[in-house]
Amino acid sequence: MKLREIAYARSGDKGNVSNICVFPYNEAHWDLLKRELTTERVREHFAVLAHGEVTRFEFLGLKGLNFVLTDALGGGVSMSLRTDIHGKAFASLLLELEIDNELVAAADSAVS
Amino acid sequence: MGADRIRIGCGSASNHDRVESAVAMADKGDVDYISCDCLSERSIALHQMERIKNPDAGFDHRLPAFIRGLRPFLNRGGVLVGNFGAANVDAAAAAAKAALIEQQWSGKIAVIHGDSIRDLVLEQNLALPEIGATCRDVETNLVSANAYIGAEPIIEGLSAGAKVVIGGRIADPSLFVGPICYELGWDLRDWDRVAKATVAGHLLECGVHSTGGNHADPPYRPVDGLDALGFPLAEVSEQELIFSKQPGSGGVVNGQVARTQLGYEIHDPRSYLTPDVTADLSRVSVREVGLDRVAVDQVAGRERPETLKVVVGLYLGWKVVAEISYGGEGCVGRAKAAADVVRSRLKSLTGDIDEIRYDLIGYDSLFGRPLTTAEPTEVRLRVAARSNQEAVARAVAFEVEYLYFGPAAAAGVSIAIDRQVGVTPAFIAREAVTLRTEVIEI
Repeated sequence: MKLREIAYARSGDKGNVSNICVFPYNEAHWDLLKRELTTERVREHFAVLAHGEVTRFEFLGLKGLNFVLTDALGGGVSMSLRTDIHGKAFASLLLELEIDNELVAAADSAVS
Repeated sequence: MGADRIRIGCGSASNHDRVESAVAMADKGDVDYISCDCLSERSIALHQMERIKNPDAGFDHRLPAFIRGLRPFLNRGGVLVGNFGAANVDAAAAAAKAALIEQQWSGKIAVIHGDSIRDLVLEQNLALPEIGATCRDVETNLVSANAYIGAEPIIEGLSAGAKVVIGGRIADPSLFVGPICYELGWDLRDWDRVAKATVAGHLLECGVHSTGGNHADPPYRPVDGLDALGFPLAEVSEQELIFSKQPGSGGVVNGQVARTQLGYEIHDPRSYLTPDVTADLSRVSVREVGLDRVAVDQVAGRERPETLKVVVGLYLGWKVVAEISYGGEGCVGRAKAAADVVRSRLKSLTGDIDEIRYDLIGYDSLFGRPLTTAEPTEVRLRVAARSNQEAVARAVAFEVEYLYFGPAAAAGVSIAIDRQVGVTPAFIAREAVTLRTEVIEI
């Protein structure tokens, strides 16, 4: 399934840096997200768009991840020639990531 | 001052926001303060351009409308704070004064000066890390430099009795930190409390984004009343921070909305840097405590950064965006062939074009690649370029328009050519920036 089915996200911009925060709908999927959404996977998923570093942070209290992508916005909001100068749609692209149905089912049964 | 609780609402999240939503907050929000963020990252540079054309312009032209709409709120003793001044604080103050006199309002207003520091950044030749240059390297194109300033001068104004506070590049959350710390008597060096006020500001600064706007994604996240979203508000006291929204408005404030707003434009959650504090959001938690009410706990803070961020505005020459559509089977192939035609015809101008890109809207323009193999029904070729020369921008547009002659069935050309101002960050020692709060009696 797509990540969109178990998580929500929002992206923002500061200069040429994008951040995408992502949270599971169900806290039972929090560990799954931490395991599946690796820095490497996100870097690869955004390789065409983000040309710098990808760093992953955790919101320990909110139970969410925050990905910070540098050199990610074609120069930043005022310099970029892209259609999406803010990277607002980056959140949607992150949610396109495939998550194995069985891993989700396992996380669900672990709680129930 | 000396209250044990403050109720503060958002009145604007950008210079394109709706004045009527601020009026609704004033009339129905039961708030003591309304703070208005009127600036996005690049708007101050755009306002500088307006000022260059017209010395009386360069501030948020909605200011008189705010004052007229919020007249009953101001009458009740409500306080209005905003970075309406943008690139021309003096002109904004004059406009506010005129509007307040017209409304037969009497009282004090505070005007914050000193964030505009173009001469200073050149004198110090500050580095511009994102573009790998210094201020003097780009002096001929350097339109503006504005320091993001904090809550301190707002508190000065409020302490002097001002009921309307106007400044330039006051940082978004600081517009809220000022009133909160003033009203609750919080010391600006009490980092945990300033961080709590900053988180309140961070929850409110984006307007209707944080009352469901940037959340709506049916069927997973349906939001009712998207056409009538209300501005957010916060109740802050020693004990709690409650995030809510204007009663009677559309949208939603729940745990999910609060989480994505808390995570918005944050890098390391342990260090959210503002002019007022280094806020630690890493352990922040949210609890739904009622309809459209979320309690936010576990905010911590550390000493504020020693430097202030500066937004430096630069002329970038001319930007052209030209588009043309193709539909039906084979449309992607025809659009790609059209892009090749333009590329080939523009070869002789390569040295005069700073940057150019070709995207197919409906296919790869947002993500740089299609996400499925299915062919779209239609695509729109978008050619975007930058050049120092207007003639070159026009030549790019001409070539896209000429695509009407082939490949086949090209449809609907649109062209936009604008002079561009970009912004890039710099950092300056805090003590180098001198701010002054002027109090005017009306």
